[in-house]
Amino acid sequence: MVEILPNFKLVRPKTVEQAVAMLARSESAKLCAGGTDLIVNMRHGLSDVHTLVEISQINEMQELDLDDDRLRIGAGVTLNELARSNEIAKSFPAIHQACVAIASPNHRNCATVGGNLCLDTRCLFYNQSHWWRKSNDYCLKYRGTICHVAPKGNRCRAAFAGDLAPALIACRADIEITGPQGKRVIALKDFYREDGADHLKLNSDEIVTAVSVKSTAQNSAYKKITVRGALDFPLAGVAVVCNQTPDDGRSFSIAITGTNSSPVVIDVPELKKDDNRQDFFSALGNLVKKSVSPQRTTTIAAHYRRLSIAAITVRLAKTLSDEGSK
Amino acid sequence: MNKQVKHSTVGQPVPLIDGIEKVTGKAVYTADLESSACLAGAILRSSVSHGHIVDIDTSRALGLKGVSAVITGADCAHTYGVIPIAMNEYPMARDKVRYRGEPIAAVAACDAATAALALELIEVEIEELPACYTIDEASVSDACLLHDDKPGNIERKVQNEFGDVSAGFELADLVCEETFDCAEVNHAQMEPHAALAEYDAERDRLTFHSVTQVPFYVHLTLARCLEMDPSAIRVIKPFVGGGFGARTETLNFEIITALLARAACGKVMMRLSREESFITHRGRPETRVELKLGLTKKGNITACQCRVIQRGGAYAGYGLVTILYAGALLHGLYDIPAVKYDGLRLYSNQPPCGAMRGHGTVDVRHGFECLLDRMARQLELDPFEVRRANLLTAPTRTANELLINSYGLKQCLAKVEAASNWQERIGTLPHGRGLGMACSHYVSGAAKPVHWTGEPHAVVSLKLDFDGSITIFTGASDIGQGSTTMVALVAAETLSIDMSRIRVVTNDSVITPKDNGSYSSRVTFMVGNAAIEAAKALRNVLIEAAAGKLDAEPQDIDCDGEVFSVRSSQQSALSFAEVAQAALAVDGTIAVKGTFTCPPEAQGGKHRGGAVGSTMGFSYAAQVVEVSVDVDTGLVTVEKVWAALDCGFALNRLAVEGQIEGSVWMGMGQALSEETSFTNGLPVHANLLDYRFPTIVESPDIEAHIVESIDPLGPLGAKEAGEGALSGFPPALANAVANAIDIDVNFLPLTPDRITDALIKARRAANRQQRLKNRKAL
Repeated sequence: MVEILPNFKLVRPKTVEQAVAMLARSESAKLCAGGTDLIVNMRHGLSDVHTLVEISQINEMQELDLDDDRLRIGAGVTLNELARSNEIAKSFPAIHQACVAIASPNHRNCATVGGNLCLDTRCLFYNQSHWWRKSNDYCLKYRGTICHVAPKGNRCRAAFAGDLAPALIACRADIEITGPQGKRVIALKDFYREDGADHLKLNSDEIVTAVSVKSTAQNSAYKKITVRGALDFPLAGVAVVCNQTPDDGRSFSIAITGTNSSPVVIDVPELKKDDNRQDFFSALGNLVKKSVSPQRTTTIAAHYRRLSIAAITVRLAKTLSDEGSK
Repeated sequence: MNKQVKHSTVGQPVPLIDGIEKVTGKAVYTADLESSACLAGAILRSSVSHGHIVDIDTSRALGLKGVSAVITGADCAHTYGVIPIAMNEYPMARDKVRYRGEPIAAVAACDAATAALALELIEVEIEELPACYTIDEASVSDACLLHDDKPGNIERKVQNEFGDVSAGFELADLVCEETFDCAEVNHAQMEPHAALAEYDAERDRLTFHSVTQVPFYVHLTLARCLEMDPSAIRVIKPFVGGGFGARTETLNFEIITALLARAACGKVMMRLSREESFITHRGRPETRVELKLGLTKKGNITACQCRVIQRGGAYAGYGLVTILYAGALLHGLYDIPAVKYDGLRLYSNQPPCGAMRGHGTVDVRHGFECLLDRMARQLELDPFEVRRANLLTAPTRTANELLINSYGLKQCLAKVEAASNWQERIGTLPHGRGLGMACSHYVSGAAKPVHWTGEPHAVVSLKLDFDGSITIFTGASDIGQGSTTMVALVAAETLSIDMSRIRVVTNDSVITPKDNGSYSSRVTFMVGNAAIEAAKALRNVLIEAAAGKLDAEPQDIDCDGEVFSVRSSQQSALSFAEVAQAALAVDGTIAVKGTFTCPPEAQGGKHRGGAVGSTMGFSYAAQVVEVSVDVDTGLVTVEKVWAALDCGFALNRLAVEGQIEGSVWMGMGQALSEETSFTNGLPVHANLLDYRFPTIVESPDIEAHIVESIDPLGPLGAKEAGEGALSGFPPALANAVANAIDIDVNFLPLTPDRITDALIKARRAANRQQRLKNRKAL
């Protein structure tokens, strides 16, 4: 019953290459950044880690660069470092707002950008103690055979609850991944898959080293639905980027978190100058409702998460499209 | 109100005297006690909600290297429980388990990892039984019984009527009836449970440290369950990080830790996880309140009929007192000529409920203040006006014979009405923003303790020694509420001495006098009075000595600010040191004591259960809450709170303000977001992410106002300050939400999903009405 931290070996590589080698050496080695989520899960007995490869000594992962071309954020940058950047707050409001919406100031002192992007999925049947899960015959995500959220289905429904991913995806970010074969760069939206037990397209010997976006300033915002103003993971969260089109219409880039096992990208048609705004936004609300599939993974009802995120998406899109016309 | 007297020490804002240890991290809590030489204790808990224990095999666990002891229900055949007539719980289940998480066995091992491993090696065979988790499931005719001797799963039924309720409803111009459903909540005190037990096998003695609010109950319960003479047990309470009622009863892990220490012939540290602390529970039960009120056009309450059903969990615990409180405190706030109460406490397959801040009253007060507000609206009366129409006049007795000696509700109403600028602002706020108000009250200590022995209700002793220091010995448990500071304050005031001369020694059964404990807000009233009596006794000794030295009569000696003189004459002035020396010269170290006993007339009516709710004085509170409601997300934000509390007299204004803020805050948690939640009896809320108590972000500006009605029996006029302002918050919030969005809701908490559902329901109803209207128009 006591939730003791199991014994593990802590290694602190100085380079990404060393880290990759350490991960490759052992099946049970795991990357550890801020540890704000991982350590809690380890206390719950949610992983059989024998070696933690800790990244705070890898300087190249701690860099935050904004040049004329791209904003590049090292995966080891802490959330408070990111939050302190005035340039990002000014040019990428959605990224900044998502960042400061995460957990609490204390968590953000250690939690990192990479950690938040690779955050484990969450479920009320999973984020429990060993005794609890054992009493409930475990679950599909870990040591069990059925998903208690959707027992008839054949996949894990645990929800992705990272706040940064939707903001970065809406900004069309790329993610840099380094493994034994070297570096690969993919669109962040393609980094995730809709499976709560295996939601990251990341091999066990690969490391997310950075994320980057084009450095064009944007009209954007992020908002999450929570019961409390701090600590809570998003019941649902949405990032909206709104751009003015050459013919004074509006284009939107929208991504949602908290409702599915991966971030959900919403394909929104352009709002033309002469479109009926009310019809457009009402259709947007319905589109969001149709696109997300929140499940019984939290104590708050799934249908509420669907309704509220649709309402908030419409609210943000409306506000941003108005601001664009000023 | 009585007139104010000039004071030198009390009545000002004074930081808590044990605050420095707490804010510097020096305070040693139970889990911080030196444990390097301790065995680690761990508890095996039931994985099923209800079932017969067929077999427990501990042999593999016992064979594990590093394991010193493994115990099961077979090791303790004694029930325990806070109510002597309702003890139906074993520290570890014996023949049956009744909730998921109930202790079944326990181990003591060389370290926590070995203990955890040993738990995995204990094999338990349980034959499962059907379980009931809700009020409805527990009360259907073919429900599986938790206890064979409790038909219908009924723990306790209460029925009483004071005055003529039917006649009262006849007199009313408006009679309304509503049902309110309030979720179960937990104390979620900051410090998880812990205990340290050391068994001395040579002397057959036990030394026990725990997080308890009532060390004296722990002492008695350990003696009972371990079959030890109480004199062989020593109970010490270190610093405690919050109680709120969770630790009033002796808890299973405390008995288990002591049993383990004896079985292992050693010292055992038991630290429960946050999840286990939640499972140990004893919180406020899920409650259904069916309430009917009658009002005249002017707002006078003519009758009140209330049915309360509580889902009590698997064992009796404090249950019968909770269900009695729920009815008794329908009285005492307003002048109500007729009250009929039906209470029903049910068993269910969840962790047992118990006492929690505002014991028994909070959910009933919520229903009452909400319904009163709605009826006032129908009668076109202002919420303040309807409450003013029903004020009591002290001294008086309520219909159920509760004593009301002081009553500052009228002043509380005036304070918050003015501070919130109510009359100018009500009705002028935009849609989505609202003001609401409510009143509440609470007892200043149960006038009749459940363990009635005939002893005084409180004893405090004082020592004055050669160094001129004064040591106060008290068994009153400071659990963060500030009782240690309170005792020092009233003693310093009575003795006219400086606080720096005083040290307070608390909660060690071999040193301090027995105290009934920190529950029902009894400490300030009872221990405060006992401390004053003790200080008076010492003062008399000092005055006697000063009189001897000054060759004067004792009645001519004045004592002010550590200076003793004959009728304040400067020439005769003696210092405290001189007088103390003179007093000590007579007989050496001076030890005196003071006691307090509740007057019999405060001990309640003669009817069955009449002692519950009885007290020497009630605190009174009124509060105004301002909210905004986001109709897209259903999120309710508390913008500001104005709260006024009549605490009789504020012995320490800083502590009283802190208690008002704490009460408001805790009421806010229950009103906005806190609730337990189970899936097939497994607690899904048992962590600080899913049990959503408010964070600093949700904590509004709270304007605390103090009203002093100077209670004739209270210490220097003081009454309780720690609970009275809680139960007004949830209804004030619900009333504010109704004001903001024109929707009355009958549930707690007002979470965004529930509010959204209510908004949808209201929108659909409005649409339906519009369609009907359109059809008629055609």
